[in-house]
Amino acid sequence: MPMKKFMNDPANLTKELLEGLVGCYSDTLALVNEKIVVRKTPKSADKVALVAFGGSGHEPAMHGFVGLGMLDACVAGDIFAAPGGEKVFEALDYVKRDAGTLLITLNHNGDRMSGSKAMRKAQKAGLKVVEIVIHDDIAQGPDTPIEDKRGLGGVIPFIKVVGAAAEEGKSLEEIVELANKFNEGIATLSVALKVATHPQNGGEIGALADDEMEIGMGQHGEGGGGISKMCTADETVEKMLPSLVKATKIASGDKALLLINGSGSTTTMEMLICYRKAKSMLEAMGVTVLPGKCDELLTVQEMAGFQMILCKCCDTCAKYLAAPANAPYWTTL
Amino acid sequence: MTLDQFKQVWARAAEKTAARERDYSALDAAAGGDGDHGEAIVAATRALAAAQGSDFKSLLTDMVNHLESDVSGSTSSLYGTLFEGMADAVDAGVTELDAPGIADLFAAGLEELGFATKAKVGDKTFMDALIPAIEALKAHAAEGEQAMFAAAAAAAKAGSEATAQMQAKFGRAKNLGERSIGPIDAGSASNADIWACFV
Repeated sequence: MPMKKFMNDPANLTKELLEGLVGCYSDTLALVNEKIVVRKTPKSADKVALVAFGGSGHEPAMHGFVGLGMLDACVAGDIFAAPGGEKVFEALDYVKRDAGTLLITLNHNGDRMSGSKAMRKAQKAGLKVVEIVIHDDIAQGPDTPIEDKRGLGGVIPFIKVVGAAAEEGKSLEEIVELANKFNEGIATLSVALKVATHPQNGGEIGALADDEMEIGMGQHGEGGGGISKMCTADETVEKMLPSLVKATKIASGDKALLLINGSGSTTTMEMLICYRKAKSMLEAMGVTVLPGKCDELLTVQEMAGFQMILCKCCDTCAKYLAAPANAPYWTTL
Repeated sequence: MTLDQFKQVWARAAEKTAARERDYSALDAAAGGDGDHGEAIVAATRALAAAQGSDFKSLLTDMVNHLESDVSGSTSSLYGTLFEGMADAVDAGVTELDAPGIADLFAAGLEELGFATKAKVGDKTFMDALIPAIEALKAHAAEGEQAMFAAAAAAAKAGSEATAQMQAKFGRAKNLGERSIGPIDAGSASNADIWACFV
């Protein structure tokens, strides 16, 4: 079946979506060097900057989270492809400051290579930058070595918490300490009902039968349940939440942030129904569930399904979660 | 090999990979990747073919710049690192290289690549074609350019075909485990086609 999407020349997808993003959120965003989305009003230079990067086609991630209290700059790659290290360095150079910069890299092969390359260039240029790698995917089981855990939607609450600390004026050392702590307490597990098509060539990524779902997309066994017959919302949450609780070591008395991130064609109705079940399970354990989100944060085109993101929150993290933010796709008053 | 001949290789590589774009993407999707290796390698070879330079050093440096600032994705990062190592290894002003000189150039690129990826032969990546090809360059350099490139192309093709029986150890395909066995690795297939352009 031919691909059915509102698009023009597939070669121009990234360029056109970025034009749309900065055109629409013209009060918040600006575009520099073709692929770097920055704040229209830069944060003052005595505060630490946050830079992220990643492939396009996952909107609103990551460039939709540039703005007050969140990112200072975000570099877009082509569809599902990390931007080159050279381009990531350009962003680091653009925001450079004595206060320092935190570079946020998702753990995928291409992203890691670009991050390393940008860090080498930044070091040569004498920039003060610390790189932090996000690895929240627990699909391969809780004992998976960190290098093998991919970075998923957990990066978005990470940006919210760490971005608020940077906005408040915390030093790079304090921010790195907070970032490491929050990063260790994020776990994400995904479930898919329908695969995505690649918008540049119409090819289907993966395969799932009409009556199947897959927890931990592309995985088998340990962490999730792998491919199974379709379940109800509550059954699905019952399969997923215990692994997330185990991975984050959340226990009675803890505070937690719970997010349901839609993959692209799952309705908000379904996300809310799943959220409700997960929240009630957490509360039954004695966990305090902070105000969360059921929304599309990091999508994979029209893939159906969602990522369930659970974050252990200390009191400081909870304070930063509630702090003001004004990015196009995350606003806290 | 003159500078012009080297440039012509990349013009042919851009044409050849464009003709097989869909095949590479289909292989990528079949082995558990995200199904866009065709787009990725065509963008990379076009960037390489568009580069300019008056000697090997400036041309290779321009190739790296095109790959790393115009193009996205791990394919371009990997080729960019390979060419960066090559650019560093050649002296300014060189416009022609003999067979051992070419072999040394690629060997230096491969060494640099070792800093960017831990992938080795057997991991079902483009290294399964690239490493045997560069080893063949070294082994056959004394036999002259023609025989050397023929040996490299044959080694790359054999290396690529052997990936069919391998289980992916890198990239998104790794998540498929045993389900990644069967199709040949897309990156090795395009790399083998590129080596054929040297013949």
